[in-house]
Amino acid sequence: MTPEAEHDPDGGPTIHLVTTQHALDESEQISPATSGGVPPMTFADDDVVFELDGLSCFYDQFRAVRDISLQVPKNQITALIGPSGCGKSTLLRSFNRMNDLIDSARITGRILYHGVDLYADGVDPVEVRRRIGMVFQKPNPFPKSIYDNVAFGPRVAGFKGSMDELVERSLRRAAIWDEVKDKLKGPGTALSGGQQQRLCIARAIAVEPDVILMDEPCSALDPIATLKIEELMRELKQNYTIVIVTHNMQQAARASDYTAFLTMGEDRAGYLVEMAPTQELFTRPVNRLTEDYITGRFG
Amino acid sequence: MERAADATDQFPGPRATFDRALDGVKDDVLRLGAKVEDALERAGRAMVERDSDLADRVRWDDREVNELQREINTEITALIATQGPVARDVRELLALYHASAELERMGDYAVNIAKLAQQLASEPETPIFKQIPRMEQICREQLRAAMRALVDISEDVARGVCKRDDEIDHLYNSVYEDAIQLMAVAPERARQATHMLFAAHHLERLGDRVTNIGEDVVYLATGQIEDLNN
Repeated sequence: MTPEAEHDPDGGPTIHLVTTQHALDESEQISPATSGGVPPMTFADDDVVFELDGLSCFYDQFRAVRDISLQVPKNQITALIGPSGCGKSTLLRSFNRMNDLIDSARITGRILYHGVDLYADGVDPVEVRRRIGMVFQKPNPFPKSIYDNVAFGPRVAGFKGSMDELVERSLRRAAIWDEVKDKLKGPGTALSGGQQQRLCIARAIAVEPDVILMDEPCSALDPIATLKIEELMRELKQNYTIVIVTHNMQQAARASDYTAFLTMGEDRAGYLVEMAPTQELFTRPVNRLTEDYITGRFG
Repeated sequence: MERAADATDQFPGPRATFDRALDGVKDDVLRLGAKVEDALERAGRAMVERDSDLADRVRWDDREVNELQREINTEITALIATQGPVARDVRELLALYHASAELERMGDYAVNIAKLAQQLASEPETPIFKQIPRMEQICREQLRAAMRALVDISEDVARGVCKRDDEIDHLYNSVYEDAIQLMAVAPERARQATHMLFAAHHLERLGDRVTNIGEDVVYLATGQIEDLNN
């Protein structure tokens, strides 16, 4: 885990998060951790986007998430499932330091992003959030035109190229171009819920992120709009890594490549029970807690 | 006045509908197994006792087996479509679906044996190879054990069922030899020898179908697909 990560020879995302280089010394090597008795899934180094090492998240003294170690693979869709209050959203928000915006929030343990510690001194949280975009539960377009919704982020970031092209490319990637191309100056808020959510995805990808985090992106959408978003996720994973929190287990089963199941301990802290390829987790989960949850025996 | 708590005050639990339907399917598969076992016993008896009427009833009653299998398939299809089962639930439904198809096919074997019994009854009497009633008995015992393994999801019982298939194969080989010998020493009985050889063949195939159910149970219990037919 050295600053060499800045020059990815494979042409992957170049990492410039750090204003003061933070290198891990030998004593800080990540140890293999286990959760719930199931060995953690590991991927080839080049395929790992996030590596969580004993991550705990706190709000004041309350520990919301306990000791999570897992890897998030590149260009795959990873779903986080688990009962309400198990810390899925807290965990997701820790991936792009969104919890920083809450005064009482803090973490222990580490989140490495392409080998760089996201919470190290000198890491710029704004740059983190540009690289690691987020789509929320309720579509939240700005009260601006469709065009300006997409152009806003790149403008703030000082984008110098053709804005028209960038807007069109982003809207096309979000599979909404054909529906809005004739009303780009119309308000984003006038679109249907499903269209608004795809507009928010277009807005997220306009700043050329590496990762898209999705927090229950379909919970406010009807089934057809939901399936469109799921199809879109499959398209997007060619270029992006996606992590999605969902309450809808069928959605996790349908749309994700890997699924991580979290549950709550007696102290109400969420912990990782099992992470596996989605197909395996939904046909033959290893852990009894997972089986009980996904079959509705618990939760 | 305080109302006494009764069953209606209890939330039935998130799986009540599914569990009730699954129990219904299991009951039906058990009934199907019992019907096939009964058909097999009667077909075997019809052969030994040269009872053509009994064989006729086996052939007639197979319609019930087919009908019940269709009902089970419909129930399982509806459960998969409406309940979105996962993990052990989906494995269990698929195992029950496959088992019911195997049972239906076993019912057909029983019918074939009944037909052979009728043909044998129309020929001059020849002693039935003693291995045939023995095979029929083992098949029924295996079938019963497989049904128990399926309902209890017992991997051990299922593996035992699969192991015992060797015994049936051995008896079948022995019938084969006896049939050839009978044809050699009494060519006028070649037809009877052939009928008995076919009956033994159907029983051997039936045993394999029981083994398939055993494999389903192992998959259901462990999530691993194994070939236990060797």
